[in-house]
Amino acid sequence: MFSIEANAEGKVILTGRLDASQSPTAQAAFDNCQGLVAADCTHLEYISSAGLGVLLKTQKRLMASGGKLRLVGVTRHIKDIFQYSGFDLIVEIEALAE
Amino acid sequence: MTSSHKMLSAQDLAPLLEVTRRLAEPFDLMTMLAEVIKAAKLVLDAERGTVWLYDQGADELVLQVATDIAPVRVPATTGIVGSCANNRQLINVSDCYADPRFNAELDRQSSYRTRCMLTLPLVDHKNALVGVLQVLNKRDGVFDADDEALATSLAAQCAVAIQRVQMTKALIESEKMRQELEMARAVQQSTLPEVMPNFAGYEVYGESNPADLTGGDTFDVAVIDDQLLLVLGDATGHGLAPALQVTQMQAMLRMAFRLGTALDTAYMQLNNQLCLMLEDDKFITAFIGLVDPRNHTVRYHSGGQAPILHYDATNKKWHRHNPTCFPLAAMPITKERTAAQLIFGAGDLLVLISDGVFEYHNASGEMFGEQRLTDTIDTCQKNSLQEIAAQIMQSVRAFADGAPQEDDITILLLRRSSDTIQRKSFRRSFDALADIFTFTAATAAQFRVGKDALGAIDFTIEELFTNMVKYSTMSHADVDIELSAITDGMKVVLIDYDVDKFDVTEAPEVDVTRPIDERHPGGLGLHLIRRLVNSIEYDYHAASRVSRTTFHKTNTPKA
Repeated sequence: MFSIEANAEGKVILTGRLDASQSPTAQAAFDNCQGLVAADCTHLEYISSAGLGVLLKTQKRLMASGGKLRLVGVTRHIKDIFQYSGFDLIVEIEALAE
Repeated sequence: MTSSHKMLSAQDLAPLLEVTRRLAEPFDLMTMLAEVIKAAKLVLDAERGTVWLYDQGADELVLQVATDIAPVRVPATTGIVGSCANNRQLINVSDCYADPRFNAELDRQSSYRTRCMLTLPLVDHKNALVGVLQVLNKRDGVFDADDEALATSLAAQCAVAIQRVQMTKALIESEKMRQELEMARAVQQSTLPEVMPNFAGYEVYGESNPADLTGGDTFDVAVIDDQLLLVLGDATGHGLAPALQVTQMQAMLRMAFRLGTALDTAYMQLNNQLCLMLEDDKFITAFIGLVDPRNHTVRYHSGGQAPILHYDATNKKWHRHNPTCFPLAAMPITKERTAAQLIFGAGDLLVLISDGVFEYHNASGEMFGEQRLTDTIDTCQKNSLQEIAAQIMQSVRAFADGAPQEDDITILLLRRSSDTIQRKSFRRSFDALADIFTFTAATAAQFRVGKDALGAIDFTIEELFTNMVKYSTMSHADVDIELSAITDGMKVVLIDYDVDKFDVTEAPEVDVTRPIDERHPGGLGLHLIRRLVNSIEYDYHAASRVSRTTFHKTNTPKA
């Protein structure tokens, strides 16, 4: 199960497992975001490399027009994936308060 | 409803029979749907016809074909079609605009007015919903019971035919995908080094185990100007594109290093080149390192490839390192970066493994992770690198407990020889004997093993090795020989991969006291070595099909 919700204030809420089968859905939602975007990952359980690709593409697009993607509420497990893959060097992550 | 059904006229029947004939022909979905609609209109004397196909994944009805109307998707619960899909019941509406379920939106979009409508579920012989057939506007009134009966028989045929065409399409697509994956696997495997290079003072071993859906893993080892190049890469995705990308990466790297490009420059250039080539959401995680045997360092860049595990043999501790950079092709690098450096002590081990290992999930959704990996390696630190790799694969499979391998698993191991252990791989061929004896002589000198003991060691190795060449013909793997210093002598281990069990220590004793004509050839060599060496043991690991024959030989003859 995966869901993505975007509200008008540039906040995106990711829930569930963002894998290859869900990345088109996530990409379509992120494609509508502009400017400073904060993605809430509190309930993001898993992200695969296809999911990282979605974030990468989004970050490139936003940065090209002065915007930025930021991840908030990042759990330990998701933070590990970001560090292992060097994605913490591409997208700013704010860990979930424990 | 009328109680008496009118007889089907020849005019009614002909198109029905024609549909039956056509539905049996293997044509594509669009053509067939068009035929069905054409027949439905003719048989039922209707203005329009529509076939909605059921998309189970989305729980939506999709309007693939309708004369003059563009494709539309609606939830399988909405309106008259949704109600029909839900209840699997024919719905005959004589005045659409009086029915609250009717969705006038489609009429509005197509500037058409639906008066009356016959809606039928398309259900296959296993009672699964295939779609919904709608017939609009009977030319001279409304649809009656006869029309319902005619439409029902048409719908039954239609459902089975649509399903057949859809299944054929799915089969063709899966066959296409299978072919692509086969090609991807061939491309990927063709670039992997077949033999490990000889690099004095070090052992290196790599293997890549592709998943069913081949991913984009690769590794490379090559000696370039007295240094050893180590590459482990993983491109995002599965199939042909990532396989080609990592192949290109490998070729670019080899070319750069052969041309004498410095590591830091090569890394930046490679990243920036790949940045131009790959799509915006694609990247390659890669470790690229050079081992310098003069000062025993590994200088490396790691674009998103982690953890980098370094076993410190002196202190018996694991060190882990994060990547030095984001993945290759994620973003351009504008300024050269200085490589990170590991100092490699005697016996130290470097473990580079693709995320397929760490992220391997078992049936309960747990991941294999880092701790299980280092724990596994700790149980077999003393073994050959190939055995360690086999042990890792076995642990992962045992952990998975039947859960499928979803990603490629690539393992690249580097170990600096310890001062008391020497290992080398030899081709499974009699021709390798000369190299083996050079190896044992050099090591014997280092370990202060005398001439007599060396003679016995060479004799024993030759006997065991030739047995492996002769009898383990099912295996193409190299045979590893490991020599370690023991007090006043040497321990020798021959490691034979991918073989059946053959316990040399269980070979029957030869009665050398019997007269010559009562004796059978064979067995004498094994009989002799049991007397020449201090001890000999055989160990067979059935799961990994690896055999280890270990013997000890001391300078002082055994008591």
